[in-house]
Amino acid sequence: MSDDVRYPSEKPEHPYFDSSFSGMLLGTLVSRFCGGCGYGSIGQLYTRVFEDEKLDPKLYPLVIGIGCYSQIFFLVHKNAQKMLTLHGRAPAIATGMKMANPKMKPIIFSGDGDCLGIGGNHFIHLCRRNLDCILFIFNNSIYGMTGGQAAPTTLYGAMSTTTPYKMFEPRSDGVELALAAGASYVARTTVAHPRTLMKYFKKALKHKGTSVIEVITPCVTYFGRKNLDNLGSKGEKGEIMDTGGKMFEWIKKNSIHINQAKFMSKEELFNKYIIGEFRYNPSKSEYSEEYKKIQNIAMKGD
Amino acid sequence: MSNVNGKRFLKPGKYLMMGNVAMAEGALSSGLKFFGGYPITPSTEVIEHLAKRLPEVGGCCMQMEDELASINAVMGASLVGAKAMTATSGPGLSLMTETISMAANIEIPFVFCDVQRCGPGTGFVTVPHHNDVGLTRFAGNGEFEVIAFAPMSCQELFDLTITAFNYAETYRSPIFILSDAYLGHIHEVVNIPPKEEILKRVIDRTIPEDTTGAKFTYEDINTHKLMIPKPYIVGTEFCPPLIIHLPHNQDGILMPEENSLRFMKIMIDKIRDNIDKISLTEEYKLDDAEIIIISYGLPVRASYRAVDIARKKGIKVGIFRLITVWPFPKEKVKKVVAGAKAIIVPEMNYTGVIAEQVERVTDLNIPVIKVPKVATLHHPDDILRVIEEVAK
Repeated sequence: MSDDVRYPSEKPEHPYFDSSFSGMLLGTLVSRFCGGCGYGSIGQLYTRVFEDEKLDPKLYPLVIGIGCYSQIFFLVHKNAQKMLTLHGRAPAIATGMKMANPKMKPIIFSGDGDCLGIGGNHFIHLCRRNLDCILFIFNNSIYGMTGGQAAPTTLYGAMSTTTPYKMFEPRSDGVELALAAGASYVARTTVAHPRTLMKYFKKALKHKGTSVIEVITPCVTYFGRKNLDNLGSKGEKGEIMDTGGKMFEWIKKNSIHINQAKFMSKEELFNKYIIGEFRYNPSKSEYSEEYKKIQNIAMKGD
Repeated sequence: MSNVNGKRFLKPGKYLMMGNVAMAEGALSSGLKFFGGYPITPSTEVIEHLAKRLPEVGGCCMQMEDELASINAVMGASLVGAKAMTATSGPGLSLMTETISMAANIEIPFVFCDVQRCGPGTGFVTVPHHNDVGLTRFAGNGEFEVIAFAPMSCQELFDLTITAFNYAETYRSPIFILSDAYLGHIHEVVNIPPKEEILKRVIDRTIPEDTTGAKFTYEDINTHKLMIPKPYIVGTEFCPPLIIHLPHNQDGILMPEENSLRFMKIMIDKIRDNIDKISLTEEYKLDDAEIIIISYGLPVRASYRAVDIARKKGIKVGIFRLITVWPFPKEKVKKVVAGAKAIIVPEMNYTGVIAEQVERVTDLNIPVIKVPKVATLHHPDDILRVIEEVAK
């Protein structure tokens, strides 16, 4: 394949330009993300699904937590009713919205610090109740917005500004936590698998119950630039991940499909991301529907 | 739906009610649809009562995983147009401050009941102590004004809760009800008015007819004066494209730094400019009074008795009662205390939060005497003793 075909000289028109909030607001696509960041792709994918599925913005409010990804509101669909909430509290706010208007299906954007750090409790109880909503966990294994501190998901051996020698804590696994807490649809994918991400998102839209989708995304500025792709393990020659391309390659290499992971030992899966669908249980009772039954009992009484 | 509305109101008449229950019933009468709470003594009766009553009216009462979650759920419910409230005590309030400051910034209406208990930390959980009065005024990071009510009887808990919901809808600012462990657990007769009378008092959440154009503007088009727009509702057309808790303009678009002052002014001035409408006070035998008692909440009840006894003895003393503690009615108090011989401020805390506010607006030569009581009620004699001492 020649370069001319691969990189056409004329820039093709962006098919979702008119749908994005920044396209409407500023007449140009604005992204406040660093080079190589995965959040831009996620914003685009959300907009695509929103546009293609013709979601009713009144029924699918977007609740955004705090993190680098908060700036995603520029890229998501212009019609989506989006709100920026507090660090880690997005699941709790979505709970209130859903219960006050059970027709809604809130979509929650949260990060690894949001859901597994400060808002861990809200995340567990959202999954426990099996409230009808979609929860995205964007896992870039670092606290990007504050300047590259260690996150609960930072991989063993990685460098960060608060673990200058190396990360020595065991990491927290959002998928395992969601499974244990009782979410009825749990999946993990990466930004390097955009079509899978869209597929999971569409499946979650049709699912009734808590859908937890963890998305592994690259952070070049604070994670890639400071870490080798072997994360400091001895015996392997590592290469620094200072571009988006290198980080994407690393994410692909570091992700193992669930079917393949079944045949691998614990040691082999150390510091790896298992991707795929972990649970799909549409028959589990959903919280707002259960509460509706309680309301019916209460109303019947004298 | 007729069934739903039928259960919202109690049959008119007299009821023997616990304070916490009276407050919950007041909330239901004003159309409460969502309650998010976490059990904490002495406020547990509120969530217990509403867990039973809210499903009856088609609402939702949720016991959340912690206080942080309950206040956030309340905020979420209010965002989609449901009247929402929470009830907690001091330790819960301190956890919730994070979200209160955010709710103030995006101007979400909700009512917050603080059934105060004694002491910092865990403290004594079943005795009263008005120690959150200062905390409610500064509940959270950032600058904003709050409105706080201090009822003193179960009837007032019922009535003022309705007023609090109306204020929340009108001023779009956190509204506190400062109850305490004794007031919450007192059983008193509450007179429930007929449904029609209550409905006349209640302001409902509605969408303005014209939802286009300058829908969230803070400026009246004709008079160019500060105007508080109606609260937006997520899930309707009456909602900005982005709801953001940073200084923003009416469409939710971020304001550059130099305009943040303008935004802060709106946040503060919407309460301060309307202080005459907001502030509720009560006067008792003030006309010829030389000694003035300024108080709020339960100590006022002891003060009434003390004043009556003192009047029989010929001491000219009167009461100026604050029904809304915050915003502090500076001008009103200034007028009342002018020319007074002394001011007595009985408060159920040692600091004297309101006494400090009174000192702020009185002449330096007028003594402001605190009558602190902690973990127990004032006896009328406590106040009478001070009155007699001052009158000498």
